[in-house]
Amino acid sequence: MEILNQFGINPVLLLAQVVNFLVLLFILKKFLYKPILKVLGERKQKIEDSLKNAEEIEKRLAETNEKIDTLMVKTSKEIREMMDEANKERALHLEETKEKGLQMARDIIKKAEAAGRVDALRMQQEVMNKMADIVAVGLEKVTGKIINKKEQKVLIEKEVRNLS
Amino acid sequence: MESGIVLPPEILGYFYNFPITNTLLVSWITIAVLTAVSILATRKIKLVPGGLQNLFEIIIDFVYTTVSDLAGDKKTKVFFPIVATFFFFILFGNLLGLFPGFGTITYKGEVLLRSMNSDLNMTLALALTSAFLTHAFALRYLGILGYLKKWFTLNPIFLFVGILELVGEFTKVVSLSFRLFGNIFAGEVVLATISGIFAFLVPLPFYFLEIIVGFVQAAVFMMLTLVFMVLLSEKHAAEH
Repeated sequence: MEILNQFGINPVLLLAQVVNFLVLLFILKKFLYKPILKVLGERKQKIEDSLKNAEEIEKRLAETNEKIDTLMVKTSKEIREMMDEANKERALHLEETKEKGLQMARDIIKKAEAAGRVDALRMQQEVMNKMADIVAVGLEKVTGKIINKKEQKVLIEKEVRNLS
Repeated sequence: MESGIVLPPEILGYFYNFPITNTLLVSWITIAVLTAVSILATRKIKLVPGGLQNLFEIIIDFVYTTVSDLAGDKKTKVFFPIVATFFFFILFGNLLGLFPGFGTITYKGEVLLRSMNSDLNMTLALALTSAFLTHAFALRYLGILGYLKKWFTLNPIFLFVGILELVGEFTKVVSLSFRLFGNIFAGEVVLATISGIFAFLVPLPFYFLEIIVGFVQAAVFMMLTLVFMVLLSEKHAAEH
């Protein structure tokens, strides 16, 4: 044990250092390892959760996209149907309008024709009157005398009757 | 200068009959520094780390994964604090020993501060603690019978091997303590000598060397303790 003396080995000091080590073990366990390992574990947990969440979000996004696609297909089909229907209806409406227009035109023509006939009659009357005047003037020239009112009237009537 | 070649630690004074040596004082300082640093690192612990917390997280995460790789999940919780404490204690002791003032400030004619591990008391205490805990864990995980079977069997060849291994357990303590002591003590002597030759700039490369040595020795002590613990507390290890 001479060598131990040379190195200054002292059982009390040895024990003191062992105690030192144990004290340090306790302190570090409490103040360093526990909190650090805890926070490391927490972070690991959080990262795992985040990854899981990301996966979930991706899945849901894919689902939503699919839903949107089907919805789009359905909607576009509906729109096409609606447009088809609208076209048909428009064609029908056009036909109807045409029909109505034609009818109206026919009515107008009929009315115009009727009005034209009345006009013609009146014009005939007028022409006759004018003619009577002209005839009277002509007779006066031919006979060379002014027929009195009574004769004139008789003559005109006679002539008019001949004319018509 | 001369104090660098003295093997036993210098006694600064007595507390009742208890000798206070300079290495014991430094080990207390080391404990205080480590405590302060770890409290600082974990005082405002955050999920998003920064500064000191980040540094300690890296070290602890590395040590923890190393331990769990070797020991398996169940034993890691038990082994890790001990192994990590060896690492931090030795590392901080070694690095602290490189600070200015060590070996130069004197108190009543004796060197006041001396690197913690340049005292065989310290390293032997660590080695004995390591060995004691290793065997305690072996007993705990194998039971008394399983533990004894590691050393004694009826097969004469394995009985001999077992006795050899028993001797090996003592040499483990010696090698652990003397490796650490030798490295750090030699470093102290080298630094003192070089500083004695020329104190400016010349010792710098040696200081760098000592930083590396201090880290390596701490890591070696930690790894060896871990490996011994894992080997001894493993079942069927004696049947190879």
